[in-house]
Amino acid sequence: MDEKESRLVELVLGGQTEAFEPLVTPYRKLLLTLAYRLCRNTEEAKEISQETLMRAFRYLGSFDRKRSFKNWLLQIEMNVWRSLGPRAADEGTLRELAARNTPEDPEERLTGKEVREKLLACLDGLSPREREVFLLRDIESRSVKETAEVLRISAISVRVHLSRARDKIRELVKKRFLGLMEERR
Amino acid sequence: MNCSRVRKWIPLYAGADLSARKARRLEMHLERCADCGREIEEFRAALDGIRAVAGRETLDWPEAEWKGLMARVKSEKPGTRQVSPLSAIPKKAWAYGFAIILLLGIAALILRSILSPPAAPLLSEIITATPAQPSRSLKTDEAPSARYLRDVHFRVRTDRTEALDRATLAAGPTPEKTTQSLMSMTLVSQETGLKVHWTFNRNFEWKEKKP
Repeated sequence: MDEKESRLVELVLGGQTEAFEPLVTPYRKLLLTLAYRLCRNTEEAKEISQETLMRAFRYLGSFDRKRSFKNWLLQIEMNVWRSLGPRAADEGTLRELAARNTPEDPEERLTGKEVREKLLACLDGLSPREREVFLLRDIESRSVKETAEVLRISAISVRVHLSRARDKIRELVKKRFLGLMEERR
Repeated sequence: MNCSRVRKWIPLYAGADLSARKARRLEMHLERCADCGREIEEFRAALDGIRAVAGRETLDWPEAEWKGLMARVKSEKPGTRQVSPLSAIPKKAWAYGFAIILLLGIAALILRSILSPPAAPLLSEIITATPAQPSRSLKTDEAPSARYLRDVHFRVRTDRTEALDRATLAAGPTPEKTTQSLMSMTLVSQETGLKVHWTFNRNFEWKEKKP
């Protein structure tokens, strides 16, 4: 945790609640984006992100200053997501996807947006834990050690889930985008 | 090294998460196995695709919503829950602490058994070793002779009877709770049946009693 964050935490705990905003503003995009990647629904992502910030404010006194504040926030977000119950492509998500996607024509070449949606939909094939590990390690580029710290699991467990997640992703991508694989060869 | 073993490592190798030792072994295998090389390429293509798409996709709060959220958060009671001082102690320290306490406990038990004074002889053992003798008609005018001693009975009476093991006591007659630290000795002549009864106190002062 850097000095500036430490000072802001002190101020909030000292009763100056307005110091909370500059403390969490650098992470507002990260939290919302990660929440969206977890649930793939904008409204649910906002709900998760909001609850994360509420809990961070409520439990700021228990934050261990030796740890990274960013990792602490990510840990809370993962807990919130798990406590709300990971929902794989619920009604809201499907509506959102339907609104974004044009009807698929097998003859028509996929647009960039469709490719993006189809690629991201591969994440739905992962279990909640695999998704968490994959997003933190492969998308957020956290190290294995940091991922383990955020998820409160061992580094070995991270590697096991990561291996499974990559295996599934590769299978799904291969099924849906044979061309992508062919282009690489 | 065969392909099936190497393929277990490929997902981690594709994302540069395999240990250096395993990575070297896998690379040696790749030099002569084109199939595994193709598989690695497939993994990398899939990962690069997802990373590129997900990396571009970022969300941010609309400013008004963010301000509203911050106002709601600040209206809450700020976090004052402090970390317990005990939680600052690492788990390893707890484990070592418990191990040391356990070892000290065991050492104390061992030392206690070594240093404690030896227990008094078990009354019950002595008593059970001396079954009651049938009374004989005695001729008190006959002189006792050590050569003809048929039997010697020892009886120890002690105030430590409560401390004796109940299970052991149950095997023999119930000890009498009488004056403490007395030892009595009965000498019976095999030839004449003369019985002499000596009683010793703690200071080995003795009394003789002839029936």
